[in-house]
Amino acid sequence: ISQLAQEEENDDANEVTWEDQKKINTFSKLNTRIQNIKEKMEELMVQKEALDDLANELELVDEDEPVLYKVGEAFLHLSHPRAVRRLTKDTAAVDQEIATLVGRSEACEEEMKQLKVALYAKFGSAINLDE
Amino acid sequence: MSAPEPSKIIQEEKNPRGIPKALFINDVEEYLGGPAAEVEKVLSAFQDALAKYRYMDSNLTQRRRGLEDKIPDIKKTLRMVEYLQGRREGKKTAPADDEDDLEDDLEDEDDDEPPKPLTTTFELADTLFAEAEIEETDTVYLWLGANVMLSYKIPVAIELLQSKLDAAQTSLNNTVEDLEFLREQLTVMEVNTARVYNWDVKRRRDRKDNESAVEVNVE
Repeated sequence: ISQLAQEEENDDANEVTWEDQKKINTFSKLNTRIQNIKEKMEELMVQKEALDDLANELELVDEDEPVLYKVGEAFLHLSHPRAVRRLTKDTAAVDQEIATLVGRSEACEEEMKQLKVALYAKFGSAINLDE
Repeated sequence: MSAPEPSKIIQEEKNPRGIPKALFINDVEEYLGGPAAEVEKVLSAFQDALAKYRYMDSNLTQRRRGLEDKIPDIKKTLRMVEYLQGRREGKKTAPADDEDDLEDDLEDEDDDEPPKPLTTTFELADTLFAEAEIEETDTVYLWLGANVMLSYKIPVAIELLQSKLDAAQTSLNNTVEDLEFLREQLTVMEVNTARVYNWDVKRRRDRKDNESAVEVNVE
């Protein structure tokens, strides 16, 4: 831990008030929240990719053949049209989830940006809010 | 002259699930009890509090992961049972049920003939699959854990699974809320520790400056 030179040190006028503490708390909370959202988004993107690949495959396959569609842990033998319909439903569901998460993460980022401005203004180099 | 004991850093106030709140120090010197206060004991009490909060944090994180694993499993089971339900309804009722993908304009043959039997490929063992034809049935068996499996009529099974899913989701939400609360208390404690430490550093330096000032005066 290096010591700041005396000139750089913040004087007592820069005490941390309860308001500041609340802002710092909120920032920390939002940071953790956004990390979790990013993790979930990655998982969902993998799922979405798989479903997209599946859509492409279904276009190429022979339409009279039954499709082994995974539901849960087992595969159901569905006719091609039913498989396509089910896939459309499943893809829409995943898209919906992704959209919700994107909305939430944008809200977090917006709030975090504002908090950064306020906290850096007051504490300058005495606080670090970046990775 | 020893400074009075600083008030407890972990307060009595708790969140809905019993996690205590951390005290926010408004004025460092006031909290410590004056310029002559010893910071070692206070700092070590802070470290204890931090350790306790971090321990709770890791417990809850584990619990959250467990729930996040359980929920997709329940969803998968529920989907399959709902599919079975859908097939049964398709057989019993007249055509044109929107959520039922058995009935559709494309599938004209379903109006006249019964749907094809349900063929599945399921996991017989790890990486080993087998084909099975599933008979018409109104009963499913649900694995409840601990080597217990019960049979349920399909509608009851759906209700049970849905309620398990809701309970898990609520539990997950509570755990996430607790984790956020913990994060706040951890942040408060970390800021407290930093400020007490900084105050001490400043005090030592001021003392040293005063001593050298006294020496200069004496000369």
